[in-house]
Amino acid sequence: MRKILLIVSGLICLTSFARAAQLTDSEVKNLLARIRENRITQADFREERVIRLMEKPVVSSGKVWFQPPNKFRREVKGSSPSLTVSDGRQLWIYYPNFKLAERYSLGKRSPLDSTVAAINSALNLENIESTFQITAAKIDSSYELTLIPRTVSMKRVFQKLDLRINENLQAARTDMLLPNGDRIVTSYSNQTSASVPPSTFEFTPPPDTEITTPLGQ
Amino acid sequence: MRISDFIARTITQRRGFVWTGVGLLTGACLTVLITALRLDSEIFNVLPGRFSSVQGLKIYDREFEQTHELTFALLCEPQDVDKLEDFATVFAEKLRKQPWCTRVLAGSPMATPDGIRDLQSIAVPLLLNLEPSVFDETISILQPRKIQDRLHRLRQQIEAGSPRPEFELSFDPLGLIAPALKPFAENTATEQEQPLTSPDGTMRVFLAVTNQPSVSAFECQRLMRRVNEFRTTAGAGWAGGRLQVLVTGRAAFVSEISLSMRYDIVATLLGSVLLVGSIFFVGFRRWLPLLGMAFCLLLSCLVALVLGQLLFGRLSMISVAFCAILVGLGVDFAILTIGRYHQARADGEPHQQAIATSVAKLGRAIFFGALTTAVGFLALVLSGAMSFSQLGVLIAIGIFVAGLFMCSILFLFIRERQKPVRHDWLFDLVKKYVRWTVRRPATILISSSAVLLLLTGIGFSPIPPLRFEASTRSLQPKNIRANQALEKIMHTMPVRWEPVLAIVHATNSQELHDAWQKLAAHWRDLQTVGKIKSFFTPAALCPSPIWMQRNREELSAINFQAARETLVQTLNAEGFNPDAFTPAFALLDDLQHLALPGVPLPNWRPQLPKSSSWWFLVDRYFARDPLLTTGFVTTNQPVATHAQSEYLKYNLPVRGVPVILSGWTYVLADLLPWSHRQLLIISALMAIFDVSLLAILYRDLRLWLIQVVTLAFGIGAMIASMKLLHINLNLLNVLSFRLVLAIGVDYGIYTVLVWQKTRDVEHDVAGVVKPVLLAGLTAVSGFASLALARNPSLTGLGVACALGIFWSLVATIFFTLPAMAAAEPKSWHENRIASR
Repeated sequence: MRKILLIVSGLICLTSFARAAQLTDSEVKNLLARIRENRITQADFREERVIRLMEKPVVSSGKVWFQPPNKFRREVKGSSPSLTVSDGRQLWIYYPNFKLAERYSLGKRSPLDSTVAAINSALNLENIESTFQITAAKIDSSYELTLIPRTVSMKRVFQKLDLRINENLQAARTDMLLPNGDRIVTSYSNQTSASVPPSTFEFTPPPDTEITTPLGQ
Repeated sequence: MRISDFIARTITQRRGFVWTGVGLLTGACLTVLITALRLDSEIFNVLPGRFSSVQGLKIYDREFEQTHELTFALLCEPQDVDKLEDFATVFAEKLRKQPWCTRVLAGSPMATPDGIRDLQSIAVPLLLNLEPSVFDETISILQPRKIQDRLHRLRQQIEAGSPRPEFELSFDPLGLIAPALKPFAENTATEQEQPLTSPDGTMRVFLAVTNQPSVSAFECQRLMRRVNEFRTTAGAGWAGGRLQVLVTGRAAFVSEISLSMRYDIVATLLGSVLLVGSIFFVGFRRWLPLLGMAFCLLLSCLVALVLGQLLFGRLSMISVAFCAILVGLGVDFAILTIGRYHQARADGEPHQQAIATSVAKLGRAIFFGALTTAVGFLALVLSGAMSFSQLGVLIAIGIFVAGLFMCSILFLFIRERQKPVRHDWLFDLVKKYVRWTVRRPATILISSSAVLLLLTGIGFSPIPPLRFEASTRSLQPKNIRANQALEKIMHTMPVRWEPVLAIVHATNSQELHDAWQKLAAHWRDLQTVGKIKSFFTPAALCPSPIWMQRNREELSAINFQAARETLVQTLNAEGFNPDAFTPAFALLDDLQHLALPGVPLPNWRPQLPKSSSWWFLVDRYFARDPLLTTGFVTTNQPVATHAQSEYLKYNLPVRGVPVILSGWTYVLADLLPWSHRQLLIISALMAIFDVSLLAILYRDLRLWLIQVVTLAFGIGAMIASMKLLHINLNLLNVLSFRLVLAIGVDYGIYTVLVWQKTRDVEHDVAGVVKPVLLAGLTAVSGFASLALARNPSLTGLGVACALGIFWSLVATIFFTLPAMAAAEPKSWHENRIASR
């Protein structure tokens, strides 16, 4: 019994050592500034989507590229590959298996604007102070940021975003809780800050591709 | 006994009898007005009713829900766009809670869970209403193989990361709802064409349907009082900079216009009374006749109103404007008769004899003056517009009654004991002018001809142009809040132009359905060849009992049990969560139930919740009577010319489908020839009548020519002044030409008739020129007082009339008189001596 108590006490001590330390507003501001100085431009990712339509989480992996403020490219590998490219004006999603491409216009108050803004906010941390309520905590050498949208349009995209920043001040994991209860957890690895050629964020549909515009022109 | 002697004797010797008669007449008129007066505020009655486009506009305004719609707009500073996004939800919620508010549209219904749910609820009736070939293709998706293929494909797309299959499966798990709603969805594109948020995000528009029982002026005022109370508190909770809450819509306009009319009546009446009274007093230095004149004019208006009410059953608000015109015309008669009475008194005649002289000398001139004016305004009946027809008839009645009263009961207000004015400086001045003109007519004739000729040249020349604002917007008060809100919304929201309305009224569902199917197919062809830009019809929501019955029979051939089993197996095989597909199983049950014979065909109307935002879209197409509908055609360019309206009239209809084309811009383009004809032909007819009457009356070519030239000078100088002062014509002030023509003819008749018969120029001509001058000045000041009104239509009418009457007066005094003196010289002294 005494042994068990000692073990429990030891675990409590360890937990208290590893316990999160809340950051003040100025510390959050400093942290964000430091992260932006060391912005990543590409990374590998592994995504797990828990959606109510499916019995089991949908897992995918691939690579992402970013260029502030709003350009990105996302390649999903595996048996159901896809390519998502945004140049800030329009967003393409291409499905090679189906020879199908979806084109979404951005700006002009498109419903997708908020979604893209959410992605950019999470990965580039662009303008997040004005768009989100931010709470941050330091856990060991990494940081946990919780982003709660301020605006109605952003609240329609997700309820809450948990963002883990690693010891190199790079995004390591995002956990997005959607309004309908779905959840998307993405882990990043092999993050680098190497420059990315502009052509990365351009997309031309291959010949014989069926192009659709689900939200109209 | 002469009529003039009879009138004089009755007025002087049977005063009590006459007063009793006047009292009875007044009482009877007031009784009729209080118990039976019905005013029609229908603005469209200013347009000719025989045009089907105008009828269409009336139907759309009367039968469709949009008359109960108010448009709210929140306008913020550019830096507060995000805050507005949040506040819009709060504002919409507050709006929904208002007791006068039935429904609110704050954004696309598709963007809300309720909107999607409501749409799903009407899917089954719309599925059955699909064209048979489309229905067959759609329902084939229930084949087991197709269920498997679809779910497999969607699962793969979900894995690939597409957001589309998730939405598709949530909205339409079985794949039947989207095709069923496709025809309907094509019409929701209107929402994309007319977004509720401005491109810069600083304005959010909300549409609210109110529960006001009617659109009468008092109901609108009552509603807007409550709306304005809401508006004062609606900004609570806003944390940004300046936030404007704008409101517009029919109720807002009617409320403010009716309230501004109250101000207009008081302001113009006071202004008119002050100006006319001052001039009258300067001329006659007596108050009692002025009171008598006002009483006679009021009684004339009352009698005309009562007769008009009995004749038409309902009087247009616009036609009530006749009072102002009648006062302007009637004042002339009063001044002439009173002026002549005082002259007779100054000549030493007793009271009764002076009345008889006044009536005898001027009765004929007043009768013909009233006749020309009455016929001139009766010409408005030819316009075909109910308001203008009523206006013409009311003035015709009123002017005759006014002429009668001014030659009879007006003398009740003149006291017998009152001594004549000994020194009349105005009469002396006029006398000097007449004497000088008769002696040396050439000097004044050349000077006045030069000025009037120049102005007439400017007036009738095409440059500078006199602009005609055919739009009824020109009649709309510009300084009211509802209009300012509308202007701001139009300025901030994307530019678009009004579509052409195509109204179809059927006798049964099948007929309505067939009509819209034909029209939609035809318009699709027109769109394909580029003849129209786009179109929207209620075709998808018009049920066809024949198609529905046929499609229902096809349902009975479906093996629902097999479809259900395949769905269960495929969901398991593809890893889908069966709980998320509960609506798919419910839809299968519904369809299976419908396939049973004897089950009534479904109707989407009772299935769409009353609070649904989709009703905003439905109400655009359907009137309160579900068989009365409208479609919308957007043209490649705004409809501005008559040729465009003719082109649409030729191209849009389909043989065998009765359709009424309408819409504001379409109507105005359609009416352009009418507007011009209204101005030119009817005015010309009136002019022809006037000059013919003058020819019969004068039986003297030279005097007749002088009078015709005077009229041309008066109208020409009036148009020139309007051009130089940048006063545009509109649908109301175009009436001023008739009025000016009528008054100009009257001044001519008074002067020329006296000139023809006089043997004492000093006594007779100067005696009539003074009252004409006073009458002209009072008419000018009376009409000029309308400039105090807030309503631009009244202001425009007043200013145009004041200008026209001023120039008619100038032409009569400075052209007619010297021209007559030059053409038919009369010796001042000889005539005077001969007469004595």
